Amino acid sequence: MVLAAALALLLWAAVGLARPRPVEVSVLMPAPFADATAPLVAAFNRTHRDVQIAVTRGPLDTEALSDLAISSLLLGDTPYDLLLMDVTWTPKYAAAGWLEPLEPLLGDDAMEGMAVGAQLGNAFGGHLWRLPLLADMGLLYWRTDLMDAPPRSLQELAATAADLKARGEVSWGYVWQGRQYEGLSCVFLEVLRAFGGEWLQAGDRAALDSPAAIAAARWLGDLVRQGITPAAVANVSESESLQIFAAGEAAFMRNWPYAWRELQKPGSLVAGKVGVSSLGEGTQGSWGFSLLRGSPHPAEAAAVMQWFTGEAVGRELAERYGYTPVWNSLLQDAQLEARLPLLPVLRQALEHTALRPLTPVYAQLSDTLQRQLSALLTGGEDATEAMAQAQRQSSLILRSAGEAP
Amino acid sequence: MTTALQPLLLLLPALLLVAGVFLWPLLRYGWLSLQASSVLTGLVPVPNGGANWQRLLADGRFWQDAAQTLRFAGVSLALELLLGLALALLLHRPLPRRGLLRAAVLLPWALPTTVMALGWRWILNDPHGPLNRLIQGLGGNAYGFLSTPATTWLFTVLADVWKTTPFVALLLLAGLQAIPAELEEALVLEGAGPLQRLWRLTLPLLAPYLLLAALFRLAQALGVFDLIQVLTGGGPASSTESLGLYAYLNGMRFLDFGYSATVMLGMFVLVLLLTAAVLLLQHGWQGRRR
Repeated sequence: MVLAAALALLLWAAVGLARPRPVEVSVLMPAPFADATAPLVAAFNRTHRDVQIAVTRGPLDTEALSDLAISSLLLGDTPYDLLLMDVTWTPKYAAAGWLEPLEPLLGDDAMEGMAVGAQLGNAFGGHLWRLPLLADMGLLYWRTDLMDAPPRSLQELAATAADLKARGEVSWGYVWQGRQYEGLSCVFLEVLRAFGGEWLQAGDRAALDSPAAIAAARWLGDLVRQGITPAAVANVSESESLQIFAAGEAAFMRNWPYAWRELQKPGSLVAGKVGVSSLGEGTQGSWGFSLLRGSPHPAEAAAVMQWFTGEAVGRELAERYGYTPVWNSLLQDAQLEARLPLLPVLRQALEHTALRPLTPVYAQLSDTLQRQLSALLTGGEDATEAMAQAQRQSSLILRSAGEAP
Repeated sequence: MTTALQPLLLLLPALLLVAGVFLWPLLRYGWLSLQASSVLTGLVPVPNGGANWQRLLADGRFWQDAAQTLRFAGVSLALELLLGLALALLLHRPLPRRGLLRAAVLLPWALPTTVMALGWRWILNDPHGPLNRLIQGLGGNAYGFLSTPATTWLFTVLADVWKTTPFVALLLLAGLQAIPAELEEALVLEGAGPLQRLWRLTLPLLAPYLLLAALFRLAQALGVFDLIQVLTGGGPASSTESLGLYAYLNGMRFLDFGYSATVMLGMFVLVLLLTAAVLLLQHGWQGRRR
């Protein structure tokens, strides 16, 4: 009896040793993405014997995820092979030496067939560092019960918003993200592009004291001063603006594509009364996978990355969760359009997106800009002075980074 | 077989622990503050001849944050000591259901700061938060609690006082219970009034506990990070940014570890000076009373 058991155990061990252990590719991503991809990952693991995907649910907040990833990278041996990254992190992580260039593994044409707007921000310094899982961009939400067509210019937007507020149709004309955080930089970049300005000019020179930049800052400040936007916008992020718009209190809202589904849910007072259009050049805010340096099995990790960012997963995520696909084939797919009415708007918006400056010191540049804009919105500072300050600080940062002054 | 070595040997584990946990990081930070170690150097430390310290001295943002941190710590500490003392005196009295009451008072202290800060962010929301609903219900206009640079810091103090007063009260309550009841009774017999008893008996005997609470809270308040990060993110217009938040930004966001270490050490020097000042004050106070 004992002998039989021992024999069985020996046999089991031998079989176990003979079969190669599957390679485990470890992926860190924010919890919502981990949840959304969970069924797909489970299906992948069922059908693949040699490669298994292990997903770690990171924090929801973008910066909290960055902190977690950076902490593990600083300690040297990161436990992750792939990291789902915000578009603004790429140059910083690449310069820190934490990423593996992708073209040796994926070839030079890994992004062929992707929308132009989705391709931006993945390459830096002559290498490809990241493949986008989904695209994201700033959009203008407007009320179809209050107007027939969306405004065609910022001036028209401000005028319509002021008029609707004056007539008492809404409490507020236009809500956006004005809290001192990354969202404020995204909002500003869109207005800046509409005025024809640029954040960084060719040669990485800051251009924040240009007439266009001053006009853009003044335009945002005036929205608050004229009461078109509530003064409380200085502490409003995406969720608060969505709340105000969903309560039917505002005529316009600037937000990301995710807001569309939220506005159709029960509890939204504007369901069925929401139009969406592109904001000229909406700020690009995509999420994508990077391969971390030191991964013990880069080839398998790259294969998993290609599966994640491929058309099949893209279609599933678009159908189930409304994630903006990056592939032209999906953006033009009539079947998908039937499930995702926003698709034509997204397709159009992806033709012209505004990319935040691609530099390892982007976080400093954005932080400095946010400080000045916040001072402007809370009434302390004049637009010319705020932008002159932002320009001075940005030039200092860029100079210490070894860029042109 | 007591030798001169024995006490030292007995102290050794504790000394090693202190050296490992406090001294080593401090020395390492001192070394790091003399290096350029950022994303621009590929995170490789390169000596930069004290450039970080020169930058710190000329960095308006560091000094602005230092002033804001001191303001936050000073005002919250004063309020917490006053309210904590009042609360401790109240809880020391024989009240019905005192145990339950004491537990209820401790509740804010038991909440994680992040959760508590999120709660306050909602309470202070403009215009939908309960506080603004109340103001509007009374016929007033909604107030931008978290979007007015001149006053927002007061609400970070409010949240901090709400959370940590129970901690101060708990420490002081322990001190009150260590005061023998006979002393109080003797003073009553001699005809001393309640205020006289507080001033002549309770406060002097409570002084070590007050000092302990003040030192604990001062060090914590000067290092404030999570509350500010969640409640305001340092805004509006950086009017609530603390030194802790600035050091975090430099390290984790900007990946400039050399300068982040310098900010931390600058903060450490400030905390050291303040703690010394508090101890000197206490020394002078006790000397005068003796």
